[in-house]
Amino acid sequence: MARIDAENWEPKILAFCCNWCTYTGADLAGLNRMKYPDNIRIVRVPCSGRVNPQFILRGFQKGYDGVLVCGCHPGDCHYTSGNYFTRRRFLLMKRLLEYAGIETGRFQARWISGAEAAKFRDTVLKVTEEIRALGPNHRMKEADDHE
Amino acid sequence: MARTGVIICHCGSNIASVVDVERVALAAGQMPGVTYAATNKYTCSISGQDMIKQAIAEHELDRLVIASCTPRMHETTFRKMLTKTSINPYMLEIANIREQCSWVHTDKEKATEKAIDLVHMAVAKVLKDQPLFTSSIPVHKKCLVVGGGIAGIQAALDVAEAGYEVTLVEREPSIGGKMVMLDKTFPTLDCSACISTPKMAEAGAHPNIRLMTSCEISAVTGYIGNFQVTIRQKPRYVNHDTCTGCGLCEEKCPTKVTNLFDQSLSKRKAIYKLFPQAVPAKPVIDSEHCTMLKSGKCGLCSKLCPLGCINFEDQEDFITETFGAIVLATGYDLIDWAKAYPEYGGGKYANVISGLQFERLVNASGPTEGHIQRPGDGAEPKTVVIVKCVGSRDPAKAKAYCSRACCMYAAKHAHQILEKIEGSKVYVFYIDVRTPGKGYEEFYDKTRADGAVYIRGRVSKIYEEGGKLICKGEDTLIGKQVAVEADMVVLETAMEPAHGSTETAATAGVSADKDGWLTEAHPKLRPVETQTAGVYLCGTAQGPKDIPDTVAQASAAAAKVLGLLAKDELETSPMISVVDAPKCSGCGFCEQVCPVKAISMVDVPSMYNGKRVTRTVAQVNSGLCSGCGACSAACRTGCIDLLGFTNKQILEEVDALWQE
Amino acid sequence: MSDVQNTLRDRVRSLLAEGKISCFIGWGPTRFKDRTIPKFANKPEDAGELVYNEHCLSNLAKYALDFQFSAEVAGIAVRGCESRAINRLIADGRLTRSKLYLVGIPCEGMLENGSTAEKCAFCRHRNPVVYDELIGEPVAEQENPPRFEQVLELESASSEDRYDFWQREFAKCIRCYACRNACPACNCMECYTEQYRTGWQGKQANTLENSVFGFTRAYHIGDRCIECGECERVCPMGIPLMKLNRKLVKDVESLFGSEESGLSDDASHALGCYDKEDLEEFM
Repeated sequence: MARIDAENWEPKILAFCCNWCTYTGADLAGLNRMKYPDNIRIVRVPCSGRVNPQFILRGFQKGYDGVLVCGCHPGDCHYTSGNYFTRRRFLLMKRLLEYAGIETGRFQARWISGAEAAKFRDTVLKVTEEIRALGPNHRMKEADDHE
Repeated sequence: MARTGVIICHCGSNIASVVDVERVALAAGQMPGVTYAATNKYTCSISGQDMIKQAIAEHELDRLVIASCTPRMHETTFRKMLTKTSINPYMLEIANIREQCSWVHTDKEKATEKAIDLVHMAVAKVLKDQPLFTSSIPVHKKCLVVGGGIAGIQAALDVAEAGYEVTLVEREPSIGGKMVMLDKTFPTLDCSACISTPKMAEAGAHPNIRLMTSCEISAVTGYIGNFQVTIRQKPRYVNHDTCTGCGLCEEKCPTKVTNLFDQSLSKRKAIYKLFPQAVPAKPVIDSEHCTMLKSGKCGLCSKLCPLGCINFEDQEDFITETFGAIVLATGYDLIDWAKAYPEYGGGKYANVISGLQFERLVNASGPTEGHIQRPGDGAEPKTVVIVKCVGSRDPAKAKAYCSRACCMYAAKHAHQILEKIEGSKVYVFYIDVRTPGKGYEEFYDKTRADGAVYIRGRVSKIYEEGGKLICKGEDTLIGKQVAVEADMVVLETAMEPAHGSTETAATAGVSADKDGWLTEAHPKLRPVETQTAGVYLCGTAQGPKDIPDTVAQASAAAAKVLGLLAKDELETSPMISVVDAPKCSGCGFCEQVCPVKAISMVDVPSMYNGKRVTRTVAQVNSGLCSGCGACSAACRTGCIDLLGFTNKQILEEVDALWQE
Repeated sequence: MSDVQNTLRDRVRSLLAEGKISCFIGWGPTRFKDRTIPKFANKPEDAGELVYNEHCLSNLAKYALDFQFSAEVAGIAVRGCESRAINRLIADGRLTRSKLYLVGIPCEGMLENGSTAEKCAFCRHRNPVVYDELIGEPVAEQENPPRFEQVLELESASSEDRYDFWQREFAKCIRCYACRNACPACNCMECYTEQYRTGWQGKQANTLENSVFGFTRAYHIGDRCIECGECERVCPMGIPLMKLNRKLVKDVESLFGSEESGLSDDASHALGCYDKEDLEEFM
């Protein structure tokens, strides 16, 4: 990835999407030829319950400006209960990250079903804009730390 | 050193018109671990696949990244293709550069950059892929059906008819369930017993069906194709192997007990058959009421039985058997309205009865031989009030949901009263009338034409005055208070899951919703499956429904069972969790979050500080694990990991774009 | 307190003599009057060397892990903090209750450098919550000590100030892992930091990796921390780790209504269960 210079800076957003809902919703957005910003990089996981909160820290550490975790709506989990655990884990992790000094909005979680292509698009749009407004992330970031 | 092949698909112009695929291939060729990178017009086509196979052979590739459409589209296709090559089918990652790139972006430059990033992430992941192998588990071609109501009977018969052995477990002394208590069924008004008892008899006599009445399942272990089920046979005190069902014992038994089958409207004996057409047609002793069992006195039945079938020493028995599939058809009960609705008398008025009590009253084999008589004094009621939604659609008092069948059986009750009692009047209090079924609306229309008066509103109070039951409520259509003087009131009460059904389901690894109805795997697309593979559900265990829906669902569940039992063995996904036992602390947090009970804590011999010790560690049942990875995210050490989506693989994907 | 010490010695002596326990974990003297160290009494005659005074700062619970595979029963002195730590270790599958003999000691707080120890200042369980026998009379509990005062203070700071605060603190960290080793909730067979092949995080002691370690450790124990304050006490660099742990304890209590960790040896914990009605902010 090209080195960032301030003028051409574009936010880079990491998204963990569950295979059964949000990843499918993202596919549907494609199928419907919806348009959204290209700042997002999706990691496909079987269930949002697979997402270890340490992955989020790692995302910031490596250089992502924002991290998103997406899964099925509570009650719709392909595995029945995975996203209920996700919700607890990330309610806590979100607060911890903010306490650690990561700005509010850099980490977000959303429930997006396989049918909610428009919600997926709108979420990417909104999150990208919010993170663009926050500017490049330097906190908890590896490269900056060494400099 | 890894030898990765990267194929960038044009997908005709679907990808190539937005993403510069040649540039992506060029960039991929520079990525660490990549030996070969090329583009292909249509990778999924036969010629595309041939090109990959050739490249694998030519460049001695050991893993593959395909940048194309979503993996949800062709991951299986490409895995299948790899089975014909030297590469393990699981040494494959797909970069989604169509649905999640070319189709959603317009800026070619940026879309190409993103595609390179996505390929980079896939390459980083594939480098940590490991060969995975499917394994096969044998299918034990035998089905267990839990619950002997019409749902369970239908499912059992369908499976048995197809040639497989079925064990039908029922906790009551006879199969039949609720349907056999009913008088007539809407909207056709055919006699319920006339259509259900032949099915009961058929189930009882079917060579492939083993009936186990007075039984409950007490434990389930194992997994799809191989469930070990422990069934508890409650003591019956009558040897059913020798009993002919002559009925002498029942006739002479001196102890009379409230008959719950007749909804407490009659008495039965302490040694009894559940009802005359019971299957099996043999009596059991009610240990709670039998004087011999309680105080050691009497034993009359034992003295009278010509074949010596009575055994007061009978004990409960546990039988463990293996089944390939389980169907849960645990059914429903009606709510205890007396508790929830003190304003309806809370049970103190004998002539305020439930719908099921009415069914017994109007039933030719019921306590009044089908004459509608008030339980209080045996008089024929001239004015009857029917109250619908007692407990249904009333979250403040009981249940938020609609019980679905009541609108129709209320209309049926109204019809029966008007038909059987000359000059009678029927008032039906309702919130809405819901008649979505074949011939249902017509039946409702006919009932109204027959003279049933429908009043839109809830009944707020029922009290006795001058021998009459005064039902007060509001007619919301005219906005006025109304009071109806009735001789009898029928409450159409809400269904709720049969008592103990959630516990039974939990035994089989099936969860229930907040109301206790068992949860299907998907409300629309997998309505009779559960989260536990190999366990199916049908009938009112899943939610309130009427008989046609119940039977349809039972046959659907049977079809699923047959689909499973028709196989000799099952291939299991290798993308499941594995435990690195030496690192496992045995905290059991993975076990707590596992949705399918695939994890158990086991004692294993281990070494600790140079000593042989026994430690408790997590163990994954590969037949049960559904590969969700919740355990892996719960493990602090990271010693339980999900193959195909390991911690290392995901971390590599996260790191990929930032490696220098 | 000398009464408690004498009774403790007598009891341990007879427990060892009767063979009820094979070893007793308590505190022993050092060359300094105001310091004690953990002491293992293996023989009845060792009991006389046990010490109990206002300087018994160490939480002993984790030493019980030395006996996790022992066939015999180990005895251990438990105050409120040790008893909760023992419960935690049992809940986490590391200890077996029947292999432990708990001698409870109500505690009125320890002294550190002449004043109430930081770790005792916010204590809500001075009396052991589980024990086999109790020495001395139960003491009054502190009423609503302001456990979360420091957390609330930092929460009200700006995001930037919070970031700077923690980076400043973790810049001091030397990655000695004393916090982890002392913590009764940090009881994994092998810490995630040692999982080289997975590479959860770098080993290098730089501010970023240190803070990643700090936050990850806090998350790992977040729903199980018993607030004994031992991590902060043993930190040679004086990093205010309880300010971090209590943030999670506070959030776990307010978000999920969980009770304090270690009050029983029940294995349930906030992140191992859920409520369908949990707060929804991800819609």
